[in-house]
Amino acid sequence: MPFPPSPRARSGPRRRSLLAVAPAALALSGCTGGDSGGPAAASAADRARARAARDSEALVERYDAVIAARPGLTGRLRPLREEVVRHARAFGSDRKASPPASASASPSASASASPSPSPAVPGNDKEALAGLAAAERELADRRTKALGAVPGELARLLASVAAAGAAHVFLLTEGDA
Amino acid sequence: MSEAKDRELRALQAALAAEHAAVYGYGVVGGKIGDGRRAEAVTAYDAHRARRDALVREVKDLGGRPVAASAGYALPFAVPDAAAAVRFAAELEDRVAGVYADLVRAAADGRRALAAEALREAAVRAVRWRGGSVAFPGLAERAGTAPPSAAPTA
Repeated sequence: MPFPPSPRARSGPRRRSLLAVAPAALALSGCTGGDSGGPAAASAADRARARAARDSEALVERYDAVIAARPGLTGRLRPLREEVVRHARAFGSDRKASPPASASASPSASASASPSPSPAVPGNDKEALAGLAAAERELADRRTKALGAVPGELARLLASVAAAGAAHVFLLTEGDA
Repeated sequence: MSEAKDRELRALQAALAAEHAAVYGYGVVGGKIGDGRRAEAVTAYDAHRARRDALVREVKDLGGRPVAASAGYALPFAVPDAAAAVRFAAELEDRVAGVYADLVRAAADGRRALAAEALREAAVRAVRWRGGSVAFPGLAERAGTAPPSAAPTA
């Protein structure tokens, strides 16, 4: 009996359904005052998706802050940051997968994300990595706990992204060989 | 049986079949892996056996008859040495991640949580074997649009 098909090898009829729900999430994440009396049409799933996009955007900002403060870590962190950017976009964020912009503040993405001040970056590489790992772990745990409240397709995406976050934790903490 | 339950049962059986294959596969891995990573392979083998047994119980709870392991499996590629064993172990984890992602979608409540936890463990083990991560573990339709975050290590 052959091994079950690899995820990579399977064709993707699901692609269409994922794309089909994206425009609603895009519209939602572009709207800043979510509860300022707008029509209550935004479903719980839309809110969960928008929240997930904001969470991933905030995590990208943490990566950017560490990369800016500890340039020696750039090579190690850039691939992980790019994956977090892809997570944000999968949830409907319009953030580009560009390298951290030094001068220009990205107008649209930072408008919807909570404009918290850049988190302080610890003074050495090890602590900076540990701080990122803690942020990744906290978010992955929170997403895993929230799975029960969302519809199946979004739960599948959230669970995958949480798993990626857990993998990032490993790479940030023990992966240095 | 309702349609949702039927979907959940089918996803559970698919996960069980994948865990049967993973247990078999790690037997192959264990035969070729070097001493340096044998303990890791044994830990993964035990983890998959435990997941397999848990899935058998879940299938029975839903009134299903658990799928049995096959007597043998065709390997996706030859595994003649330790480097291939590491690649194969990563591949096994990718496959398991895929079925658990599908089970997250099909299941509710406790079984969804179980699937998410198993997906997470598989993703971390895949990264340990491979040395680099993928953006969307277990999601076939999102794989292959970007390279893994690090080159495979042998």
